[in-house]
Parts: sequence; C-alpha cells; structure tokens
Amino acid sequence: MTTSSKKKKDKKKDFQKPKLRVGKAAPKAANATSTSFKAKSISLKQQALSAIAPTLEAQCVHHLGLLDHKADKQRQESLAFLTSAITGITPGTPLPQPASVIIPAVQRLILDPSNAVRQQLLKLLKILPENDVATHADQLLLHTRAGMTHLSVQIRTFALEVLQWLVRVAGDEVVSCAGGWVKMLKCFLSLLIWKSEGEGKWSQAKSYGKSDAKLQVKQMDALTAFLRAGLYHAQVVSISNDSNFPLWQTEHHMLSERSNVYAHLNLFSATRDEEAEMFEDREDRQRVFNDRAEPAVVTGLEQALKAGGEMGRAAAQLRKVVRDGMADFHREEIIV
Amino acid sequence: MKRKVGALEKIEADHAALRFKIKRDPQSYRDDFNNQWQQYETLRDLFLQSPSTQGTGLADLKDLVEFVSHVADLYPDLCAQFPSDLQQILLQHHEVLEYELRDKMVGSLCLLRNKDVIDSVALLNTLFPVLVATPSKSLRQLLFTKILSDLRSSNVKTTNHKLNRTVQTVLYNLLESDKESPKGIWAVKITRELWKKQIWTDARAVEVMRLAALSENEKVIAGGVRFFLGGDKEREEAAEESSDDDNVDMAKLKHQAGINKKTKKKARDLKKAAATVKRKEKKKNAPHPLNFSALHLLHDPQGFAENLFSKHVQNTKAKLQLETKLLVLQLVSRLVGLHKLTVLSLYSYFLKHLTPRQASVTSYLACLAQATHSYVPPDVLEPLVQKIANEFVSEASASEVAAAGLNAIREICVRQPLAMTDTLLQDLVMYRKSKDKGVMMAAKGLLSLYREVGAELLHKRDRGKDASMGIRAGTIKEQRYGEEAAGGIEGIELLEAWKEDERRKKRIAAGLDPDGTDGDSQLDEAEDWKKWELESDSDSDEEGWINVESDGEDINISDSEDEDKGKPKAKKAKLDSATPAPNEGSKSAEPETAAAKQAQISKLLTTTILTPADLKQLKALQEQTAINAHLPSHKRAAMLAARHADEAITAETIEAAASLGKKNTKEEKIAMAKADRETNHQSTTAKRKAKKESEGKSTTNKEKARKKNFLMTLGKAKSKNKRSLGDVKKTLQGHIERSKRGGKRGNKGN
Repeated sequence: MTTSSKKKKDKKKDFQKPKLRVGKAAPKAANATSTSFKAKSISLKQQALSAIAPTLEAQCVHHLGLLDHKADKQRQESLAFLTSAITGITPGTPLPQPASVIIPAVQRLILDPSNAVRQQLLKLLKILPENDVATHADQLLLHTRAGMTHLSVQIRTFALEVLQWLVRVAGDEVVSCAGGWVKMLKCFLSLLIWKSEGEGKWSQAKSYGKSDAKLQVKQMDALTAFLRAGLYHAQVVSISNDSNFPLWQTEHHMLSERSNVYAHLNLFSATRDEEAEMFEDREDRQRVFNDRAEPAVVTGLEQALKAGGEMGRAAAQLRKVVRDGMADFHREEIIV
Repeated sequence: MKRKVGALEKIEADHAALRFKIKRDPQSYRDDFNNQWQQYETLRDLFLQSPSTQGTGLADLKDLVEFVSHVADLYPDLCAQFPSDLQQILLQHHEVLEYELRDKMVGSLCLLRNKDVIDSVALLNTLFPVLVATPSKSLRQLLFTKILSDLRSSNVKTTNHKLNRTVQTVLYNLLESDKESPKGIWAVKITRELWKKQIWTDARAVEVMRLAALSENEKVIAGGVRFFLGGDKEREEAAEESSDDDNVDMAKLKHQAGINKKTKKKARDLKKAAATVKRKEKKKNAPHPLNFSALHLLHDPQGFAENLFSKHVQNTKAKLQLETKLLVLQLVSRLVGLHKLTVLSLYSYFLKHLTPRQASVTSYLACLAQATHSYVPPDVLEPLVQKIANEFVSEASASEVAAAGLNAIREICVRQPLAMTDTLLQDLVMYRKSKDKGVMMAAKGLLSLYREVGAELLHKRDRGKDASMGIRAGTIKEQRYGEEAAGGIEGIELLEAWKEDERRKKRIAAGLDPDGTDGDSQLDEAEDWKKWELESDSDSDEEGWINVESDGEDINISDSEDEDKGKPKAKKAKLDSATPAPNEGSKSAEPETAAAKQAQISKLLTTTILTPADLKQLKALQEQTAINAHLPSHKRAAMLAARHADEAITAETIEAAASLGKKNTKEEKIAMAKADRETNHQSTTAKRKAKKESEGKSTTNKEKARKKNFLMTLGKAKSKNKRSLGDVKKTLQGHIERSKRGGKRGNKGN
C-alpha cells in the first residue's frame, strides 16, 4: 500500500476495463498487430477458369505429390485414389501414370509411421502389374529391408508382409539383385538372433523392441519364402525348338527382355564388396549361403524346433526348404 | 518436414532410450545396435542413390546418424566404416544435401572426434575442403566454428605441434595454389582467429599471412595486411579481456556462504570459485609467455616489404581500392620503420601523392613519417619535406592543412633530423606567430624538436637557453648521418655513488678508515650477492618457509678486487660529489669532470653484474632525483620515450594539431561532461525497494506500520493512554515473555 495517490492511480489504470459502446468500433487490444499493408499494385495468380475437369493423369500426378503430406489421412487417401484409379482402368490400356513413376514415389511409404497408410500401400502394390514390379525389385527390396530392421515392431511386421509379396511376385529378381542375397541373409540372421555355435554367447540377450514369438514366426515364414526363391531351381520355361528348326536355342542369343541386363558388370557405380554383389546363379547363392549363413540357420532351427507349437511348425517348414535347396550342393561336395 | 511420432510408438522404441540403455550396458544391447546399424546401412544405401532428395526418409537417417555417432565408440568393430561413410558423403554431396542432415553429419563427425574415434587430422581434412568449396553461408559458418573449436581443444593441454603444422601447411597450400581465388580468405580468417586466441604464435602462422598479403585477390590481401597491422593489438586485448572477465572476490563469497542458506549447489559454486582463484594465482606467478609480434616473426622483412610495395602499390596494373592500397602502404611503411629497411622507391612514390587534393592525404603523410628512420638518406627525404612545406604550409592554405603539414614535417624530422635545411626550418618556425592555434602549436612543436636535435639550424634567438649554452660549451655536437650513440644505463652514476656511500657507512661502523681501500671490498661484493633477490618475498615467509640463503659467495665473477686501479677512480668520483643525489643538475655545468664520469660509468658496467636488487635501487634513485623531470622539455622527452617503437603513426596523429584550435559546440561539451555518469542517482536501498515493488512482492509488517496513515493510529494511541496499570503491566510482561520465547510462536525446535 502506498500513500501516493499518483501511484495508486497508475496502478488502477492497469486494471480498468475498456468501455464498450453500442455502435462504436471496439477498442483495439494493446497487443493488436496491424496486418494492413500498402502496395502499388496487386496481382492475382492465374486462376483455373476452365470448366473441364482435370484428366485422370493429372489427378494422379497431383496425388503422387500429396504422398509427402504431413497428415496421415491425406497420404492414405491419396494412396486410395491411386489404387482406385489403377483398378478402374480397362484391362489392356496403360496405367494412368507409368509404374516407373508410381513405384519410386510410393515405395518410401513402407516406412510410414501410420498403419492405415501402410496397409493402403500394400493394396496399391498388389494391384500393380507384376513385370513392372520386377524391374523395381531392388529398390523395393532396399526399403523393405529398412522396414525389417525398423525400431517399431509394427513396421517390422509390415515389412515382412511386403517381402512375402515381393518374393511371390518377383522372387528371381529379389534374390539376384545387387546386395539382395547376402545382405538379406545377414539381416534375417540378426533379426532372429541366430548365430553359429562358434560366435554364440553364453546367454541369449533379450531383444529391446519386443521380439515376441509371433513376430519370430512371421520372420521365419518370410525367410522360408525367401530361401525357396533363392535356393530352388527357377521354373524352367520349356523351350520348344520345333518352331524354328534350323536354329537351336535362339533365345540364349537374343537380347534379353529384362531392363539393365548388364547390371552385374557394375559398369557405372561404385565397386561392390561381396555383400553388395549380385548372385544370379543358383549355385553361387548356394555357395554363399553355405559359407555365411547355413551353420547359424541350422543351430537356430534346432532351438526353434524345440520350442514347438507354431514356431516349431514354421521351423520345420524352413528346415525342409533348407534341406531340399541345399541337397544337391552337399551331394556335390561329398562327391568332390 | 519432421513427421510426428505417436506417443505409444515412442514409449516402445525410440533412439534416445536405446542410446541410454546401450551406454549403460553395451554388451547386452549389441544385437539391438546391430539391427539399428543395418537399418542405417540400408537407409544410407537408399540415400546414396539420390543424395539430393528432400523426402521423408531423411529424418530417419538423421536420427540414425545421430544415434550411431553417439554410441560408435562402444562398438568399434561394427562401426569401423561409419566415420569414413560420413566423410565420403560430406565431401561428395555437401552441395546437394538437405541442410539439416548436412549439419547433423558435421556435428556427428565432431562428436566422433570428441570421442576419439577419429583424429583431428581426419576431421579437419574433411571439414576444410567443404568449408572452402561450399556455397552455403550457414554451413561455412558452422564449419568455421567447428574447425576453430577443434583446433583450440586439441591445443588445450599442450601445443599440438603436429596438428598445427599440418593445418598450417594446408592453409599455406591453399593460398599458394590459387592466388586469385577468394578461397584464401578462409586461411586468413582461421589464422587470425587462432593468433588472437594465442594458439598459434609461431613464425609459420605469420608465413601464411605473409602469403595472403602477397596474393592477388583484394579481400585476401586486405585480410593479410590487416592482420599485420592489427593482429597483435587484437591479441593483447583478447588476453586482457579473458584475464579480467572473471574477477572473483573470494572474501565476499566466503562471507556470503557463512550467512546464506547452505545448499550443495552453493558449496559447489564456492569450491569452483576457489579453484579459479587458485588457477589465476598460479597463472600470475607463471612467467609471462613471450609472444613476439607478427611483424617481428617475419622472415626476410626486406623482401616482403619490397614485394608488397612493387606488387600492390607501385604496380599500375594492380586494381586495388584506395582503402586497400593505403592499408598496404601502411604495412610497407610500418615494416620499413620498424626494421629500418631501405626501400628507396617508396619515397619517390610519396612525392607524387603529397598534395592537399589527394584523397586521405593525412594517411599518406602518416605513412611517410612512419617509413622514415635514421638510416634513410637525408637527400631522399629533403625534397619530400620541401614539397610538404610548399604544398601544405603557406599563408594561402587553410589552417588545418598547414597544421597537418607542419605536424607531418615534425614527425618526419623526429625520425631523421637531417632531412631539414636551415632556411626551410627558419621559415617554418615563423609560423609559431600564426593566429590559428593548431598551426601555432605545430610550429612550436617543430621548434622545440630542433632545439633538442639540431639547434644550429635555428636562428640564434630561437635556440633557447639549454641549446645555446650547450653549443657554446661544445657538449651539443652536430649529428652525422648513420651515427649511433654509445649505449649506457641511465642513472648508473647515481647507483655508483650510492654504493660508495653505503660502503663508507659500513666501514665507519666497523671502525675503519672510511676512505681506505684495504681488504674488505670482497666482503661488500659478497653482501651484494647475498642480496641477489629482492626483498619482495617477505610475504611468502609467513607461510612457514625457511629462507635458505644460496651459497652465492663462491660465485665470484667480478674481478675488481684484483685490479688496484679500479677503486681509486671510484673514490675520486665520490670525492667530487659528496652529496650523491642532487648533483645531477650541476653535472652539465662541470664539463671538466665529464670525462672522468664517462670512465667511471663504463667501469661499473664492465666490472660488475647488476643484481635485481641493484636494479631496484637504481630505479628508486632515479625517481628520487627526478627533479628536472617536471620541466616541459623533459616531459616531452618522456612522452616520446613512452611511445613504443612498435606503435604505428596514424592519420589521427597528423590531424591532431589541426583539431587543437577547434572549439567544441555546446552539445559536444554537454555530452562530454555527462559522458559516464548515471543520469539519476538512487541509493542502493531505494533501488532494492523499487525492484521489490516492481516484482510485486509484499512488504514487511514494519514497513506497513511505518506507512500507516497517521489518523488511523490515533485511536489506538489514545486508548493506550487510558489503560489501567494492570493492563500496562500485562502488556509489558507479555512483551518480555514473547521476546524470551522468541516470537509469538516461539522457537519450537529449541
């Protein structure tokens, strides 16, 4: 309390309510910011005045651009639009946008944090033409592998689904692309924490992100599919030589229909080590698998088989694939 | 573009949490780290396919890079490739990288350096090329600070010569490889900053700057030249700043600690303050680091000065701005003056520019004065002085111009008095009758200068008492070109006399003949050696240290006692001047003793070693006898001596005379008077009160009572008077009781 009347007045001033009067503009707040500005001329950007609706192609381009949007919902809706646009076209006509545009744009959504977006993505991927997917298999595989090692369990699970789809659609490309075989095997082993006896630790450390049995089963299923694609004989297309009789095995001398045929020569990019190398032959893959992964897989399988139940069944499947796939390799070794 | 992560997801798995766990127990989480490492590798591969993407995957990669760099030191086998990855990406793609990721990578590399995963050389070899090449300003800023801080931190404990040499070589090569590119500015900036911080103080750093000054890019030239002109001053200022920024008053802190609430934090603060004080004390006692100025560390200053001059100033093809040119000229003249170099073409260059119409001519004048020294041939300077006199000093020219001209002539003649002819000097001296104060003062300055250094050139009536007496007596001789005065120690004769006096006293005390020359002179010598150190360490004696006298007696370099002719001479000198102190004034009046004195001085200097105690005594004696130090001529001489030879002459020095006559306006006067004074004075209590009030804090009961309206207290006061005796007693007793209890509630604890 002060005795000074001036100070009292000053204090009062702070708490006085501004008087409002009917018909008068309300007094401005003390912190009001003037947003008015002066300009010599104002130009409006061109407005679309055409009455014609944009074409499907243009809409698709627009929605592809929206895949980076920050709202989950928007991303999901854009994906849904693309899905419906692709399913909507009559068979035989080309896609509204070529797959070489769509796939690079959508593939990074494999790592999307929102579950709804990821599910929508898988739907979209599944309706894409299979041979288009095959040409982009290496890119998709990279993203899938990133997903498989992601911190979030949900994304890890989802990435396995994508992998299974990818192996089903383009198994040959997946196992033979650059880094596709060794890096994937390494990735699986580290996910399953399978180690060969030599480097095994005393005790298995519990993993950090909950690696429950269900996830492990899924991982083993995916590994089964992957190994089946890599170790089994590719479906040999029966060659009928009758049609062009004097020429034998013409298709071997023709230019391949695949894109980037000489990728394995690695002419234009950085030199690859063994991990990033391409293994196009089944024998090569068998050899590498034997070198790098088989002991670990066998020991891991033993433990998984003991666990029984669902995991045991998955492990049995896997063991069968490994045995079948590696059978002729081991036989050769014995013979040699 | 950072995407929000759901709360639940975050709880479950998040890099920060994993990092924390890994740091506590690296072995158990090895598999998890391995997963993350694979994730990083995958994302890196993805990223490398198109490094310029701005997409969403980058945020993840950024997180992972941060995560891995934090724990990389725990898994050296897994992350062996990580640093080289980052280096490759930065070096190859720094131009197209998304800026947040780029900054993160730089930060991660520095982190790896701090964790000793990579060494400084590797780090700097990555950062420096990027710094030089990148077009991004913010990245340059970041890299610059990182490079500096890394260099500083690796030089903290001891000077890291190897690293310094490597970096200096890199900078040198950068400057040398392309002389025209502006990239060299980074070499200049880094060197200058490190010089300022006293991290680089060697000749190699100076060599880098020398190269910069000789480059062909104007910015780089200016940077290099500015370094030589101002780098040392900057360094000194920085050192002073750092020394007095944390002045801790220990006594006050201790006192406060006794009174204030005792918390752990406060105790820690006190301990820290004590440590800093101790460190400071240690630093104070440590020998002062010997830092040579950059100008002194130059190899081949003659070659440098010639190169600079011919390349940037004289060369008509050099397209430098006037400002830069002047800077270079300043440096050249500074070098010439400091190292007494001979660059004769410099003086003929000046001849062209010494007209009042020349832009910033005072700088030229200052440069000319700076470039003058006692070895410049007078016949080179004469036309220059003549030209200044003709162009500047005339009745027709403005008073400022004349004052500047006179002042410049004076500054030149201080350094080379022989540059003046008698007719010109006599003309110029006439200006002391000028009505303008600046011109008058400048002319007087010239006059008083020549009274000291070349009185014969003046009219007889202008010479003054000292000079004319000196000329008549023959003590003032004409100086010749290139002549050097014999060196000596000022006031040494005083010391000699004082020593003799002491010896006499001692001999009298011992009961010997005070003038005797027998035996005990050795004793004196020994005494002197005992007093080798000053008496200043008396305070250190308090700490219980026992002073052990060093056995100085047996170090006897002086051989004066063997020579019999040494002592009698000293005695004669003593007999001449019975009172040692004030005989300074009469010295010049007795020319016949001068020769004897000369001999005596040389004797003391050549036969004994002066101990620090001697030097202290000498200083004291000098101060005692400094009677004539108050004469104006001596004051001037002292001022001249005080001005360090290293200091530059600037345009202000030349212009100073002109400003003498100028009168300040009223506003300027008021501003000057107000300069550093508080506008409204308040007592500390008032300030504290005002602060409290502004913070809206409450007042004490006492304050409330003091401020209470007088009328309100009246009623109570009245009723108090009407109380019965019993009531009064009760109140008083209550008061006593309360004070015993310690207040209304009492001290419950006790």
